[in-house]
Amino acid sequence: MSLPTGIRNYTYAEDMAILRTRTHWVLLGVFLLLLFTAPLYLNDHWLGIVNRIGITIIAVTGLNILTGYCGQLSIGHAGFMAVGAYTSAVLTDRLGLPFLASLIFAGLSAGLIGMVFGMPSLRVKGFYLAITTIAAQFIIIWIIEHWTEVTGPNGIMDVSPASIGGIALKTPASEFYLILAITILTVYGAKNLARTKVGRAFVAIRDNDLAAEVMGINLFRYKLTAFFIGCFLAGLAGSLMAHTSRSISPDYFQFKDSILYVGMIIIGGLGTTTGPILGVVFIRLIDEFVTQLSPTLQTAFPNLLPGFTSGIAPMIFGLVIILFLIFEPRGLEHRWQLFKAAYRNWPFSY
Amino acid sequence: MKRISVLLSMVLTIILLLSVMTSACGPKAKPEQVLKVGVMTPSTGPVPEKGIPGQHGFADAVTYINKELGGAAGHPIELIWRDSAYDMQKVGTIVQDFMDAGCLIFATHSSTEMKAASGKSNEAGFPGIAAFISTINLHPPTHVYGPTPDYGDDWVAFAKYYMENIWKGPGKPKMALHGLANPTGLGARHGAQAKAAELGIELVDIAEHKISTLDETVSLQRMKDAKIDVLFISSTPAPTAIIIKNARDLGMFPGITIGCAAASFGKALVDLGGEAVEGVYGIAHMASWDDNTPGVAKLREYCEKNNPQDLYNDDYLHCWTTMLIMREILVQAVKNAGYNTLAKGGKTAWKAVEEQGIFKLKDYTADGLVGGTVRYAGGGDNRLNNYLRLFQVQSGKIIPVTAWQEAPLIKYETFDWWGK
Amino acid sequence: MTELMQYTITGLSLGMVYSLIALGFVLIWKSSGVANLAIGQLVLFSSWFTYGMLVQAGLPPWLGIPLVIIFALMLGWSVERLALRPLIGQPILSLIAVTLGLAYFIEGLVGIIWPKSLASLPPLFPQEPLRIGSAVIRQEFLWAAVISIVLFVLLSIFFKYHRMGIAMRATADDQKAVQACGIPVTRIFSQSWMFACVLAAVGGIRISSIGNISKAPLVEMGLKAFSVVILGGLDSFLGAIIAGPIIGLAETIGGGYLSKVAWEGVREVIPFLIIIIVMIFKPYGLFGEKRIERV
Repeated sequence: MSLPTGIRNYTYAEDMAILRTRTHWVLLGVFLLLLFTAPLYLNDHWLGIVNRIGITIIAVTGLNILTGYCGQLSIGHAGFMAVGAYTSAVLTDRLGLPFLASLIFAGLSAGLIGMVFGMPSLRVKGFYLAITTIAAQFIIIWIIEHWTEVTGPNGIMDVSPASIGGIALKTPASEFYLILAITILTVYGAKNLARTKVGRAFVAIRDNDLAAEVMGINLFRYKLTAFFIGCFLAGLAGSLMAHTSRSISPDYFQFKDSILYVGMIIIGGLGTTTGPILGVVFIRLIDEFVTQLSPTLQTAFPNLLPGFTSGIAPMIFGLVIILFLIFEPRGLEHRWQLFKAAYRNWPFSY
Repeated sequence: MKRISVLLSMVLTIILLLSVMTSACGPKAKPEQVLKVGVMTPSTGPVPEKGIPGQHGFADAVTYINKELGGAAGHPIELIWRDSAYDMQKVGTIVQDFMDAGCLIFATHSSTEMKAASGKSNEAGFPGIAAFISTINLHPPTHVYGPTPDYGDDWVAFAKYYMENIWKGPGKPKMALHGLANPTGLGARHGAQAKAAELGIELVDIAEHKISTLDETVSLQRMKDAKIDVLFISSTPAPTAIIIKNARDLGMFPGITIGCAAASFGKALVDLGGEAVEGVYGIAHMASWDDNTPGVAKLREYCEKNNPQDLYNDDYLHCWTTMLIMREILVQAVKNAGYNTLAKGGKTAWKAVEEQGIFKLKDYTADGLVGGTVRYAGGGDNRLNNYLRLFQVQSGKIIPVTAWQEAPLIKYETFDWWGK
Repeated sequence: MTELMQYTITGLSLGMVYSLIALGFVLIWKSSGVANLAIGQLVLFSSWFTYGMLVQAGLPPWLGIPLVIIFALMLGWSVERLALRPLIGQPILSLIAVTLGLAYFIEGLVGIIWPKSLASLPPLFPQEPLRIGSAVIRQEFLWAAVISIVLFVLLSIFFKYHRMGIAMRATADDQKAVQACGIPVTRIFSQSWMFACVLAAVGGIRISSIGNISKAPLVEMGLKAFSVVILGGLDSFLGAIIAGPIIGLAETIGGGYLSKVAWEGVREVIPFLIIIIVMIFKPYGLFGEKRIERV
């Protein structure tokens, strides 16, 4: 099914290879080339959007490990991003740590906070668990808003740009390469994590935690590991967001973002590596499309109903999500697999 | 079913591709000789009640400028509007969009959006104005400007008025602050922190609320127990009305004096609060809808024609006036630097707008839409106008109780609690 | 002591408003297992429709409010028919994501129809606050409490004794088995959404007459409802009706006394702390149905 006609696996290494055929390698090469040359054909505005997509992919990949693989629903991912963002900002600006070090510390601190809020997961499941993560979102934001000795006197911090080896990454293009590198590492790591012992344990817990426990999987340890990894990635994303947007405030990490992240992995396809990427790209592009659409409509039809130009954007955004799910309830990843299968079997589709 | 879904996904892909193409190519293929101005309002998201009228105010002002004033120094103004959805991550990409599209100056509706935008814009030297400005936008001075005084000035002006005209008792009056948990509330708190001791006011409680609050009995009960004499609210009309109603239910008001910062006050507050807000004081930074000046007459004419539902809305008025001030900046910039400098775009143009436009502002009255004149004072004062007036709600009407007065500059960045 | 009395009364009355919205959430959960993320937006929509009836069309409340209820029934029917029906039998998470899309859609629609975005309803109840001892309570809150309790009693009876109610509970338990028994699952979903929308409408009218019709409080209410139902147990009406006041009390009493020692705004987070502690001891909420799992 997942292999083109006429190709078989003869060794274990072949079976485990992510890239199996020459076409795979060529396609990957072309894809990477396209990505790395993006600053040549995208203007700064679009690079900004691509950067935002990259940051979201990192965070949502983390959420996918936690929710998609391990089955622990988290509706507080934006809060964990905030932990990373503020840790990184404070470490670089107040304590003068180099960016890369604070990036790692951002991930670690978010991961640790994530583990704290993940503790109840041993007893609490499903939607009931959602409340502890919602609580994480609100408690973290509340602390950030009020712990002003650390988080800036006005709840808002000016953050220095990311710098590596003394070179400050200020332009959208340089930020793009930084984010791209980390995104690729994240996705590659996530893809491989899913195939390790840990990843398989996560899936076992998701599918039936009792059975998993009987098989000798330490539920508490693995659930906390999932929380740590998921929130670690959120922390990385938060750190990148802080250093690219240059100023952060609690308004950057709203509850509705947390909900939207869950929406992204559902629309993309839970428990797959490409799913979250597709979901993020889909949602962010639709979002950008509707943002551009309203002004275009306003210029084209100046006599529209008042409120139409602003109302049409969320309406179309919602409508696309609804229609998409009605026609493809299993997510973009499913459609992508069908497309690949059709391509492989062509022209003998049956 | 399968065919439909394939079709649907194709249509979606095409829409996405088109969106990429149109927006990537769109801004470049515009006729020359225009002056581009970027504007963002939170028309969707949590505060559409402020963003939508603001959006209309900006748009109608541009229509008026291009139709009747011949644009700015003969060049029509092209408005590039974006809905920020009050999403701070999006604000960053929108500012980048403005810079790429060749905007000369940009405006945000709220101080919160401006704070998020200035991370990117300040670095590039891209000048920005927020229709509603707060202390944290102006101090230390950067490339961000305010069309009016800020919320800190509101507190100072109200406190002075209170001490001179209302407070009769011996000793110090006890004051409580109720601020929105964002730059709007912070601004008033900064003003109080800076000047309360000097004015002889004892701050007994600083409460804050969310924009979604339904009931503030708890914080008000606390203030009641502290026996406050005066309460100052810096928020938006909806929460302000709830706070005042709660204060009335608790039997605190009438009894204490209540003052509101500019964003809390206005016709909207009277509509929402009804009888409860009778006697409340408030600050206004700009003309009121009932003023008899040519600027207000034009404003009313366009509002009645294009957006009758926004009549008497202060967001509409603020954004309209902000746009007129931006036009004046561009007029000065074209006059002093020449259109060709501005047409170069990028940092050269932004520098020219700032140094040849904003710094040259003098004696602009906006036809009576603001008090005093719009000018650039320099010396760390990025408020382009520093006049404000005190109003009071009297039998359902908003009546001015003071004449236009100047708000002195407070250098917040010199206090050690300001941080950094 | 004065303030404790006031905090208690405010907390209880605020909590009953939360319960009202939470009931609608539980209703949908109980019959279809879907977490309705659009509940705040449904509240928003019906509040604005009420504004349209009572203020824009100038109808008296005795005519306007029944029209709002009819509108809510229609809204619920069409939401279920158009957005959720096509997804029956699909993964439950997809249905939840659809309600997320629905939330955006309704938000946009409301923005187009009512660009005014901020308004107040005419007072439906006397404005004079009632005095209980030294504490005061607004009559609107009192009526909200009465309405929540009446609705709770009606819903409990309906789910316990009425054929349809029993069928709804069965559907939540196992859709396929219910369908095999010949119970029309689609009709059950349709009706539960219609009821839920009516509850949202009643809640919307109450909240917007207490505060005013602006987006933030009405949408926030959906979130409050979510915390309430999780504390109470997702599938329990009794839980919703009891957890609401608990959360309300936590907010007011906790906020009132702790804000002297903690940072301002502590009332927003105290309910969550309480919920987490409760959840550790009662993982299915206070009154939620315990599921016994076997391998």
